[in-house]
Amino acid sequence: MILDQLILPWLLAWLMVGLGAYLVAVLDRLLATGSARDGSVWLAPLASAAWLMTQQATTTEAPDAPAWRLAPALYLALAATGLALVPWSPTLVGVDLATSLVLWGSLEALATVVIFLHGWSANAHLALIGAYRYVALGLSYLLISMFVLIGVALPAESLRLTEVVAAQTSLWHVVSQPLGLPLFLMVGLGLTFWGPLDLADSTDLSGGTAVERSGPPRLVWALARAAMLVAFSAIAATAFLGGWLGPWLPGPAWLLIKSLAVLVALLWLGRRLPRFAPERCVTLMWVVLLPLSFIDLIWAGAVALWMA
Amino acid sequence: MAVSWQRRLAAHAPAAVFLAEGARIGPLRETLALSPGIRLVDTPRHASVLLVAGDIPTGWRDDLRRVHDQLPAPFASVWCCCEPFEALHDPIRIDTLEALPQGVAETHRELMLGKRDSAPRLQPDEPPNPWEGLGDDGHGGEGMMGGTPYGRPMAMNMQDDLRDGLTLDTLTFRLGPFHSGLPPGLQAEISLQGDLVQAWTVTRKPFASVVEPIFHAARQAPVPIAELELSRARHHLRRLYRGLLVAGWPRLAERTLSLTGQLSPNSDITALRRSLERGGLWRLALPEPGRGVLDEAQVRELGGPAVRAAGIDEDLRSHDAHYRRLGFAPTCRDAGDTAARWRQWLDEIEQSLWLAGQAARHDLKTAETDAVETPRGPWTDAFPHDMSDLLGQVLPGLEWGEAMLTLASLDVSALDLHPLEEPWQRSTGDREGRA
Amino acid sequence: MALLTLTTVLMATLGLGWLLQWLPARGQPKPTYPQRAPFLGGGSPDTHAWNRYHIRYYPMTLLLIAFEMEMMFMYPWAVVFVEKGAMAVMEMGMFLAILSVGIVYAWREGVFRWQ
Repeated sequence: MILDQLILPWLLAWLMVGLGAYLVAVLDRLLATGSARDGSVWLAPLASAAWLMTQQATTTEAPDAPAWRLAPALYLALAATGLALVPWSPTLVGVDLATSLVLWGSLEALATVVIFLHGWSANAHLALIGAYRYVALGLSYLLISMFVLIGVALPAESLRLTEVVAAQTSLWHVVSQPLGLPLFLMVGLGLTFWGPLDLADSTDLSGGTAVERSGPPRLVWALARAAMLVAFSAIAATAFLGGWLGPWLPGPAWLLIKSLAVLVALLWLGRRLPRFAPERCVTLMWVVLLPLSFIDLIWAGAVALWMA
Repeated sequence: MAVSWQRRLAAHAPAAVFLAEGARIGPLRETLALSPGIRLVDTPRHASVLLVAGDIPTGWRDDLRRVHDQLPAPFASVWCCCEPFEALHDPIRIDTLEALPQGVAETHRELMLGKRDSAPRLQPDEPPNPWEGLGDDGHGGEGMMGGTPYGRPMAMNMQDDLRDGLTLDTLTFRLGPFHSGLPPGLQAEISLQGDLVQAWTVTRKPFASVVEPIFHAARQAPVPIAELELSRARHHLRRLYRGLLVAGWPRLAERTLSLTGQLSPNSDITALRRSLERGGLWRLALPEPGRGVLDEAQVRELGGPAVRAAGIDEDLRSHDAHYRRLGFAPTCRDAGDTAARWRQWLDEIEQSLWLAGQAARHDLKTAETDAVETPRGPWTDAFPHDMSDLLGQVLPGLEWGEAMLTLASLDVSALDLHPLEEPWQRSTGDREGRA
Repeated sequence: MALLTLTTVLMATLGLGWLLQWLPARGQPKPTYPQRAPFLGGGSPDTHAWNRYHIRYYPMTLLLIAFEMEMMFMYPWAVVFVEKGAMAVMEMGMFLAILSVGIVYAWREGVFRWQ
């Protein structure tokens, strides 16, 4: 029982963190240039990681040292917790919580705190700006995420992810709630401050919250960010693409394929768009995307009643 | 000592390079950006090699020392056409451009494999100010309050805010001269309240900007218009490249840069323009219309594309008889703001390519040698002077990101009246974009 | 049990993240003062970075609080939604309509702009 309920979810989460983060690095390189400029695509992420492990970890004049160490580790822990929630098949579920959707929502909210902490605790000028700027984004995508996720809970009559998947047996939510997945993808970019929503670690701030980071802490931060991207992809695949459902192949294989599809879509979006200006980004979130998520919820409700 | 597997693996990683740009260098950043095995980074914390290129005048060397000491160990510095610090006993000098990318990558490898020791720190290990006051750490009151904790005072200089009048702390610091978002050599004292620029004072002027040798040749004798216009297009493409990096769009920045290497009169940037438009650069990423506006007096002094972006059709090429034969008329935008200046680049690149195509067909040379329109501005008896003080009027009131994008759209450094010497001269044009 | 498992995963990963940072840094000398100065491209700061920061989007954060309080009721609502039927749709529709008016008003008042 211990093995089944304690060790297995843990192993699954760590396996996904490790493999997923590596995959993110490889895929992003492939999407970036289409060709490998810096040697082997497959070896480069490992080599860069090894380089960071050997590099000295800098500090600043008076950082909030415990918080500065905590932020990357906690971000990684949030990603792993998210991955532990993912149902792989009706029987193989990391943690089958009755309120897994709510828990995922709280992870998203905590991520904002962690990213802010990472920039603030450095006590460095550019990092501080990145931190406060990210909070504006974090507070904006939070509501969109909640409305969209409640939309998928309606037909399932439950906040449990396994039942959300079961409710998609006849029709996946990506079809029955067409606005849901696109909106949720924007949330994913915000949650991992990736591509167009990279307001935290942006280039105009020379790396934002990570500007003073070097060595192992920087590696953990990058690892956590990639792991969060993977966790988000798996949750999105579960909530909108029918999770383990699919013919011929076993459930876990389907989930992997679908998560990979979401992941590639996110990375592709990240490369196709410039970074949004903070002010315009906040306006976009509240004035365009949030009303769209209202429509998504009402649509989801109407469809759920009609199909019931 | 046996080299651990970790370090052997790390030797395969691309060399992370922080580039400190000195005076009178060609488009080195652009060349390196396309070199295999090198990754340019924005902060010394992310680098293992500090590359110093070009002349660093005396006044700038203390700033360079500061950057040098900020790299995490193990690190090394590579010096290209620049005199290394005397305190470095074993500096690496590479004065040819051909050997530079290879040499930098090799330096990283040697560092990782333990064949080279990490460079020494140049500055004494002392806090910026002596500590004062009471307490175990001698820092005065409780925690971070009072005195100068860790050698630095806290921000407590309250000034009235520009926008909503809410008075909070102002953060004052000097940025540059080796910050990749600023023109090389520029250092500014910046006061921020929140992420809004309150004040911007230039403390070191940027190094004079260098144009390709053909513009200098055009002042001596007639030169083929096609070549001149291709050079102009390349210059603007490189500026667009740097702007796109600041705008957080590395993929398109690299695409822009790869265009410079293969530019010919038949080149076409329609696809690039479409990608920029569709990606929402103007709708979502650049400052809103009306931000970063220069008035007429300011743009007239600045000259070049900035004038034309403000709707004034001032262009020396319209005085040149052969340009007129090609049907040249200055291309203009009206708004004169940051967004308009970004569009102006694309317009001018398109126009230059079109002119190059026309001129190549007729094999035309320039008619005027006394008045040449350089990419930086008009060069007659007068030439573009340093206008960096202008930034103090434009940037206050802008949010940080807007300020950096506005800065990217402005060419404020003086024009260097002497063409580049070896080894930079050959670097222009043909080298970059081969990758 | 489920919560215990989640806590285990959280704490174990937290520990892993912390170890990854701590193990390689053991015994390394503390960086010198010049190295610890914040990176400003060669420039130097007058003060520490921490300050009473002017958060330009503060009206938006107030608006968020108004929404967040309402969100708590949506979770139980989602579970009983199908059971209650059209009534639940109407109620939530009205609620969202009122919120939308609030957003439009806030937008007109410039709440989403940097103050």
